Amino acid sequence: MGNEMENDQREGDGLDITTEDVDHFSLIVLSGEVDVYSAPKLREAIKDLVDQGRNNIIVDLEKVDFLDSTGLGVLVGGLKRVKQNEGELGIICNQEKILRIFRITGLTKVFPIYASRQDLLAKTKEA
Amino acid sequence: MPDDSLEFELEMPAKPKYVGLARLLAGSMARRMSFSEENIDDLKLAISEMCTNAIVHTGNGEEDKAPIIVHYIARDDFLKVWVKDQGPGFNPSRLIEGERKELLTKGFGIPLIKSLVDVFECDSRPENGTLVSITKYRGQGNQES
Repeated sequence: MGNEMENDQREGDGLDITTEDVDHFSLIVLSGEVDVYSAPKLREAIKDLVDQGRNNIIVDLEKVDFLDSTGLGVLVGGLKRVKQNEGELGIICNQEKILRIFRITGLTKVFPIYASRQDLLAKTKEA
Repeated sequence: MPDDSLEFELEMPAKPKYVGLARLLAGSMARRMSFSEENIDDLKLAISEMCTNAIVHTGNGEEDKAPIIVHYIARDDFLKVWVKDQGPGFNPSRLIEGERKELLTKGFGIPLIKSLVDVFECDSRPENGTLVSITKYRGQGNQES
């Protein structure tokens, strides 16, 4: 638990990433802005987990101030990657301004989306 | 010109690290013009997408590429922003033909921009770069598509 990643990729990219294990998921917690400059850092974080055989990934967007199509593209790429290994990639987000982007692009039908960490744990216990 | 009119230009290197600056300027202008928070978010996202596309068209962050011009025009009730790159250009009709395919397979950029703004225009010619322009009115919301 509380297994923090090293974030040395891009100076001043405005995105902090930490990972931790929650239940049987690997949780990637993002804080800041995900755009064309910072998205490669998220791509690497997902890739690192998959390379370690951790294919059930949840990306927590609750502290994300900004997300653009590059970030969406990275999440879709991550989803494809874990699906190849019969895994899953879900999102934690309860921010309307971020959820709206998922709705506009039709991605609410692609990603499991949870309102909070508690919601994630409750729904996965039900399943 | 009305008192609220303001027009200026940002010439920035065609590199990802500068997209945040273009976005910040758009957000600051829209806030100064009393846009709603939702419309400010829409503008920031649209400008980010436009600049990202321009960088991709201009060599995707390679060194020694021509700069990108971001031009901001604020009037009483709207903010217009155009982004000009000096990449190889393309046939704009492909935007419409390929839009759905792009949405499903390549990226979300252009359809996303269109859904966020009131007016979207694109002028691109092979070997002559691309100019993408958006206008957002202060008083009008957008319907999500």
